[in-house]
Amino acid sequence: MKLTRRAFLKRGGLALVSVGAVPLWGPSFLQQLVFAAGPTRATSGRKVLVCIFQRGALDGLSMVVPYGDPHYYEARSDIAIAQPTQSAGPSGVIDLDGFFGFHPNMAALLPMYRSGHLALIQACGSPSASRSHFDAQDFMECGVVDDKSTRTGWLNRALLECPEDRAKLTPFRAVSMTAMLPRTLQGDQEALAIADLKEFGVGAGAAGFAPGPVTTGAASGFEGMYETAVGDLLHGTGKEAFDAIGMLHSADPTKYKPENGASYPNSEFGRALLQIAQMIKANIGVEVAFAEVGGWDTHANQGGATGQLANRFTDFSHSLAALYQDLGDRMNDVVVLTMSEFGRTVRQNGNRGTDHGHATCFTVMGGPVRGGRVYGRWPGLAREQLFEGRDLMLTTDYRDVFAELAQNHLGARDVNRIFPNHRVNPGNYHGLLA
Amino acid sequence: MAAQRNNYGGPVLNPIAMDTSRSIHRADMLVVLCAAFALAAAPQPTTDNPPLTDREKIIHVLDRLGYGPRPGDVERIAKMGLDRYLDQQLHPERIDDSELESDLAKFDILKMDETGLFQTFRDDQEAQRQRQREQAAAAKAGQSETNTASVGVLSASNQKPAQPPPRREGPRRSFLAVAELQNAKIISAVESPRQFYEVLVDFWGNHFNIDVRKGPCRVLKVADDRDVIRAHVFGRFRDLLEASAKSPAMLHYLDNFQNAAARVLSPNEIRRRQQQLAQSGAAVPAQPAQAAGTPSQPQTVGGINENYAREIMELHTLGVDGGYTQKDVQEVARCFTGWTVDPQSGEFRFTPRRHDNGEKTVLGHDIPANGGINDGEMVLDILASHPSTARFIATKLCRRFVADDPPPALVDRVANVFLQTGGDLRQVYQAIIYSPEFFSRQAFRAKIKSPFEFAVSAVRATGGKIVSDDFLPVDKRLGIEAGATFGRGMDRIASARRKSLNIEIIEMGEPLFAYQAPTGYTEDSRKWVNTGALIARMNFALALAEHKIVDVSVTPSDLIHGADIDKPGLVLDQLNAAILQGEMSAPTRATLEKQLTGNDGGNASTVNPAELTALVLGSPEFQRH
Repeated sequence: MKLTRRAFLKRGGLALVSVGAVPLWGPSFLQQLVFAAGPTRATSGRKVLVCIFQRGALDGLSMVVPYGDPHYYEARSDIAIAQPTQSAGPSGVIDLDGFFGFHPNMAALLPMYRSGHLALIQACGSPSASRSHFDAQDFMECGVVDDKSTRTGWLNRALLECPEDRAKLTPFRAVSMTAMLPRTLQGDQEALAIADLKEFGVGAGAAGFAPGPVTTGAASGFEGMYETAVGDLLHGTGKEAFDAIGMLHSADPTKYKPENGASYPNSEFGRALLQIAQMIKANIGVEVAFAEVGGWDTHANQGGATGQLANRFTDFSHSLAALYQDLGDRMNDVVVLTMSEFGRTVRQNGNRGTDHGHATCFTVMGGPVRGGRVYGRWPGLAREQLFEGRDLMLTTDYRDVFAELAQNHLGARDVNRIFPNHRVNPGNYHGLLA
Repeated sequence: MAAQRNNYGGPVLNPIAMDTSRSIHRADMLVVLCAAFALAAAPQPTTDNPPLTDREKIIHVLDRLGYGPRPGDVERIAKMGLDRYLDQQLHPERIDDSELESDLAKFDILKMDETGLFQTFRDDQEAQRQRQREQAAAAKAGQSETNTASVGVLSASNQKPAQPPPRREGPRRSFLAVAELQNAKIISAVESPRQFYEVLVDFWGNHFNIDVRKGPCRVLKVADDRDVIRAHVFGRFRDLLEASAKSPAMLHYLDNFQNAAARVLSPNEIRRRQQQLAQSGAAVPAQPAQAAGTPSQPQTVGGINENYAREIMELHTLGVDGGYTQKDVQEVARCFTGWTVDPQSGEFRFTPRRHDNGEKTVLGHDIPANGGINDGEMVLDILASHPSTARFIATKLCRRFVADDPPPALVDRVANVFLQTGGDLRQVYQAIIYSPEFFSRQAFRAKIKSPFEFAVSAVRATGGKIVSDDFLPVDKRLGIEAGATFGRGMDRIASARRKSLNIEIIEMGEPLFAYQAPTGYTEDSRKWVNTGALIARMNFALALAEHKIVDVSVTPSDLIHGADIDKPGLVLDQLNAAILQGEMSAPTRATLEKQLTGNDGGNASTVNPAELTALVLGSPEFQRH
């Protein structure tokens, strides 16, 4: 019974398939580890896309505040962020362009915006009318709208469309800093889920991590068993595991020190981005990295300039700012994209929170980004301008953002193959990249 | 492979179903017979798909309807008869579990009622506020040292002063509640003779998922687990659904406790509220500007919150394709207005004042005006008896107990039983368990264990015992400040580099009672397969066999039954029998034999039983059930 890549796709698209197939990466990937030890500065020109999912539906109107729209203040008497006036002081928005302003706790990203390396896309998201977190996240991760027949993730399919130099491919081409592989990375392209780099080894533990090949008796025993378990779903995953362990051991993650004064928040998200930076710098072949950050489902007491949501923005912006600083000139090859499944109601609900809405705000950060501006047509917040009379209207289809980055940053050949049932029109691209 | 998967061959009439029908009452028998008739067309077993042997059936039952065999279980069930065992498992009240009960007696918080639980939460909150006040005072005293935070060098908890908070004397009880709950679940899964019951509790607890990291859920989930899930898994679905709808933990988790019809406040109420705000201090943001600026404007409170209304249909009953609209979500939310939690006692309360008394229409049913609490009860009736619910629950149960791609014919039959019996869950389970699909070759060892199933089955297979300890470590990844809260215990773990079973399960990706999204963990076991998780499993196997899990006692040398450790082949035979019931594949065996002989440069000498046990536990075979 031959397990083909296609069969895998149908069975949920898990991890690596190598039964009866040519190995997806050559032995030469090990040679690259030589570079990992040295203080190389560039990422050898390899383009990297870091995708961040803000799970729970981000209130884009609080992150990038349309303070110039009077309806914003009418709809949110308790939770609006004040206009950037003298009297508002530090609790007012930070003006960006005379109409939009950052939430005060997004200040850490202001330097990136001002230097033109951070673009904001307001009123962006999925045309799906679903207000289910789970459906909407699934749709967005799959790169579809209201289609449940597509089982693989768009990011996974994007990599399949990208030129691959077999000799340079490594098990770290697509990594997710999560315990479970997210839908967006499931598919034919092998992908790794790593919750914590330090624990990534057999018999490694917190203390026993040492650079070099895996040599303990137990580890080689495990390796042998999975190597020979041909035909089992677990076979490919096991093989991949041991290849990856070998590489990471050589890169020695325990000795990592962030550069350029970068300081990551001691949060789950901060640690995830730190480890992404670490892998990018180790030159172990990362092309796509994924991380997620939760806590955006602010149905009650979301707060204004301070409070629950404000604290999420602090963690979010400081983590991203640290990644940017830490990577230094490596950011020339890196684009960071943040997304959320949908936005929140324009009007606050009975609990000083917001319910599930429609469009939200995406961000794109990196050296190649044409930032320093808020992209997307502003649909307005008057009742008749709202989606279904209650939510921010959508003016940028998220697939046009994904497609632009896949095509112009990662170099995907046919973006239409990444987004089934959707005709990508490059005329809709915002021109996010220089 | 896909074609074979859907081809659920099996004996046309299952001998077990026949034998057992005598001991179950008439309605049950009807269901079993209905199921049997539907099988007339089921394909016969072929040479590729030979029927399961009696021994395999026992292993299958122990694996799927429990957390795997303990030493001697297979023989014990063979002796008593599988039909009798199954009948007992379907009536857990007939199984003595006093031993487990005494093992759980030490968990004080688990015995508290809702009011007591809620009080621990409030006490801890008050203590925290007190600490914050003290810290604020301390920060004020040392004002000169504070400086404005610079970009990029702020900690996540930037609201707190720079100096570390003063060390607390002990764990906060509301957090200990989580530790007790998690550990009680682990101990029960390992030790309970009511194995099927424990698996069902896991299934339904996951179906009605609640994340303990959300507010008072960390205490209220204790009552939910005991009074909602455990009390109803063998009852009617309608009762389980109602218990969940009225569960304070669920009311908090999905926000319905705040779901209220919008109404205008009376001047008296406004005054009272302002007084309350002033009294409660820092917890509520004061809004002097607004209060002063709009004195004559009417103030409204409340407003519907759709969260629970959506999830009860999408995740608890109909399923996302179950045929409801956004309008239905809003109408159901209106029906559940006023279903809330008493702010003093923490118990469920219906508050007529908060209820929307207008007419509603839910899934085509008219709900007349002024129904009060009956509006919500009618919604529960409509949802619990809806064909989409029958199908959704049947599919999910079949996915859990039979196969990741559940056989459609089985799902049809089980959904039918659900509808015909008014959602009698015991009969629904019987329709699955006594089906040929359940006992088919295709279902045997076809699923990958979840991390929790893997961990518990490993402890059981090795005859491991949970040993009591004087602390209950809770992981900081649960949003619980481990270092400060669980000081001594966590220090000890860190220094000894030993972890608890609970923390091992967290690290393998399945923190108990702590899945953020209301979906709960997936029942599609293939989703658990990924590289990082597999490595974590191998590490768990090593930790377990090498006594590095602080609250588990195992003796690998017992497993080899005195086999001569100078004879690796014999040791391997014993471990294969003990842990894999002799199901070790030829390639695995060859690898392990090579491993054994290769250790000392080809010189087969003494075997390390612990390492070999770890290898068997981490083998591909043991990941399946």
